[in-house]
Amino acid sequence: MNVHASLLGLYQPQDGWLFRLGTGWKYLLLLAVTLPALFWWQWWLTLGSIALVLALLRSSGIPVTRALNVGSMLWILLAVLVGYQLLTFRFEQAITSPGNVLLAVLASRLLTLTTSTPDLLDALTVGLRPLRWVRVDPNQVALAVAIMVRSIPYLMGSLADAREAARARGREGSVVGLLIPAIVGAVAYAQTTGEALHARGLVERSADSADAGSRVRVRR
Amino acid sequence: MIELDRVSVVVPGIRRDDPGKVLLHGITLELSERRIAVVGANGSGKSTLLRLLNGLRQPTAGTVRVDGHDTVTAGKQVRGIVGFVFTDPLSQLLMSTPVEDIELSLRATVRGRAKRLERARQLLDERDLGHVAHQSIYDLSGGERQLVALTSVLAVEPRIIVADEPTTLLDLRNRAQLERVFEGLPQQVVFSTHDMGFARTAERVIVVDGGRIVADDEPGPAIDHYVRLMA
Repeated sequence: MNVHASLLGLYQPQDGWLFRLGTGWKYLLLLAVTLPALFWWQWWLTLGSIALVLALLRSSGIPVTRALNVGSMLWILLAVLVGYQLLTFRFEQAITSPGNVLLAVLASRLLTLTTSTPDLLDALTVGLRPLRWVRVDPNQVALAVAIMVRSIPYLMGSLADAREAARARGREGSVVGLLIPAIVGAVAYAQTTGEALHARGLVERSADSADAGSRVRVRR
Repeated sequence: MIELDRVSVVVPGIRRDDPGKVLLHGITLELSERRIAVVGANGSGKSTLLRLLNGLRQPTAGTVRVDGHDTVTAGKQVRGIVGFVFTDPLSQLLMSTPVEDIELSLRATVRGRAKRLERARQLLDERDLGHVAHQSIYDLSGGERQLVALTSVLAVEPRIIVADEPTTLLDLRNRAQLERVFEGLPQQVVFSTHDMGFARTAERVIVVDGGRIVADDEPGPAIDHYVRLMA
């Protein structure tokens, strides 16, 4: 199973400045480098922003090769986007359209490659505090986001497995043959994840909000 | 002490006239031994029985109590006492790396992120897993994954460990290693297995067949009964 190609990357502790920067600042940085390109939609701004993100990651000790290791699925998607735009003679959009997708993924890696999940969880919990006013537990939402991040490589691996299984049965071109096992696998995965949360008492625990790291107390 | 009193588990049918499927039939048990193995064929009800013990599955009839706490009405207390180890550790590990997963477990008991991370690293070192602390859980071997899953469960110091076929997905070397770890645990351990060698390490073996307890004895006679049943 090709489960190692993770879209968002894996945090490995290092000494670079991005690793020491507060999580809230990193969220702001992420927005600052992505929003202009997404708003103005200029090819030079997209390319410049990608170069800036790669430079920021490089300045914190993350080489360009690791930063660009976003998994073959994304590169295929980007290639399809480029091809489509070229075929329709929209040359500028052949850069901006896939470029902005790549920029968003790389910018999110500013956060995920340099921040541990516990730090992300605590920052999200603090950021989502206003949800308590509508009786939503920020701990549970933060945990759901963290689990989503952890699940991406699993789901990509499921798709790769389904593709191999379809190939073994001579149904390589069948979209249904690819999607149905992947969807069934995703549902089963969601069920086992729910069981694990329950078995580990994490659902009740986050309702108690006993965590002092987040300094949040949630009303029952 | 775990007590099951006339416990039945029924999966309702899809149609109105479908009576559903009975997974467990009126089981009464007291589990107090330090090591208890549950054996049975696939689909016999082993996993359902184990899932009752920490409230993952609720009985349709009867009661399950752990140290006097009902698993239905006092699920939170029960899950504080009973840690559950799944067959596939990837189902159980919720974070991307071992150290993060154990840190998640410790959020219930240890205040302060730095202390939790330090404790998580310490727990991994104790199991000789320090070198994989920051690796992706997908890059670990099956044995390492199961040990990390077990370490995550043990991090919150449960008094009882329930393990559903914890060695099934492991090769011989990892299986032997995990069995040694289980033998060394101070907790009460209730586990299911298809490995009769592992079952023999228990003080008591319960044989489940068709949702009923068909033998409940010391390992020798219970396993002999199971082998005859499967012949």
